[in-house]
Amino acid sequence: MKLYSSPRSPYVRKVWVAAHELGLADRLELIEATPRNIIEVVGRHNPLGQIPTLVLGDGTAIYDSPVVCDYLDTLHDGPPLIPRDGPMRWQALKLQAIADAMLDQAIAVYTDAGRPAEQRNEAMLDRRRTRLKRCLSSLEDDTASLDGALTIGQIAVACALGYLDFRLGRDFWRPEQPNLAAWFDRFAERPSMRATQHPGPG
Amino acid sequence: MKLFYAAASPFVRMVWVTALELGIADRIERIDSGTTPMEANAALAEANPVAKLPTLVTDDGDALYDSRVICEYLIVEAGNETMLPAKGREHWSALRLLALVNGILDAAVLRRYEAAMRPEEKQWEVWDEGQRLKVVRALDELEREADQLGDGATLGAIAVACALGYLDFRFGHENWREGRPKLAAWHDDWAKRPSMTATVPAG
Repeated sequence: MKLYSSPRSPYVRKVWVAAHELGLADRLELIEATPRNIIEVVGRHNPLGQIPTLVLGDGTAIYDSPVVCDYLDTLHDGPPLIPRDGPMRWQALKLQAIADAMLDQAIAVYTDAGRPAEQRNEAMLDRRRTRLKRCLSSLEDDTASLDGALTIGQIAVACALGYLDFRLGRDFWRPEQPNLAAWFDRFAERPSMRATQHPGPG
Repeated sequence: MKLFYAAASPFVRMVWVTALELGIADRIERIDSGTTPMEANAALAEANPVAKLPTLVTDDGDALYDSRVICEYLIVEAGNETMLPAKGREHWSALRLLALVNGILDAAVLRRYEAAMRPEEKQWEVWDEGQRLKVVRALDELEREADQLGDGATLGAIAVACALGYLDFRFGHENWREGRPKLAAWHDDWAKRPSMTATVPAG
């Protein structure tokens, strides 16, 4: 299987962490896409030109990141990362939805910072930061929801927090969310997280 | 169940059409929650920190989101076995279609926000063109696959129909039908379903 990827994409990291946790990492061939070549390289398989996109041996393309994780979860016999049914399933998928929504906001905030100042919309940026902080604070208020058996929910939240450290800086969220930061620091010790760290700033 | 709802949101429409097609819409109370990117609805933010529509509150009081998760939950609740194939190639094909539609709508909704909320001199034309092309390429893919969309109420078909309906609603001047005759014919036919005519976007 080929996984179109970038070491800077938190959505790719989520898939890659899941693959490590499921013992599937060595079955994925990583093909790096850059902002310059992504349409050409990934667009053949996924018209949205988004990473991660997984391409199977028979050419079938699978995206976006929740679907790729779902697919990987069917390729092993261990405990599922996405519980198959019941309240645990909805809890895991909800955490993933929060984490992915945090990333949507964080990426927009980071991207907007790269726009010329006169093209930034501070009001919109404020809304995005507010939304991001509301998500962080709901996680801080309920870190118990991050305990228990490993699910895609925890992986997604960890990758979102790792991305905040990477792009918006540790001070963006850690001072106001000490319990979440402690949880993250423990989670980040997992070999799957250590093997998939974002590169240095850049 | 309660659904935070807005008649203009294509993601909400997807959920509501799904509920209508499943025959469980009468079990869901709709809470009108018009929201803008600049102003979150307080009750919605309380239930869902992301503060995005749609959000479903189950009979157990759990809040669920996003639209794909809600649709899946409703399908399980209704005990339906055909709307989303359970496994195999058809399963992954349906999920890929949903992701494609999500990509179209994310780009289209963002473009609309930018156009509506950003002062004109701050609109970023290069950015807008990038989002527009993403939609164009995804629509071209849907045109290639139009024969496979079928006339039944699968989740993939619901999603595609709601996305195209949103483009008609907000980007009618860009006329997605041009050069995509098969997709246009499919949509015009599918959109005659009662679930679609009852949910035409407004606002």
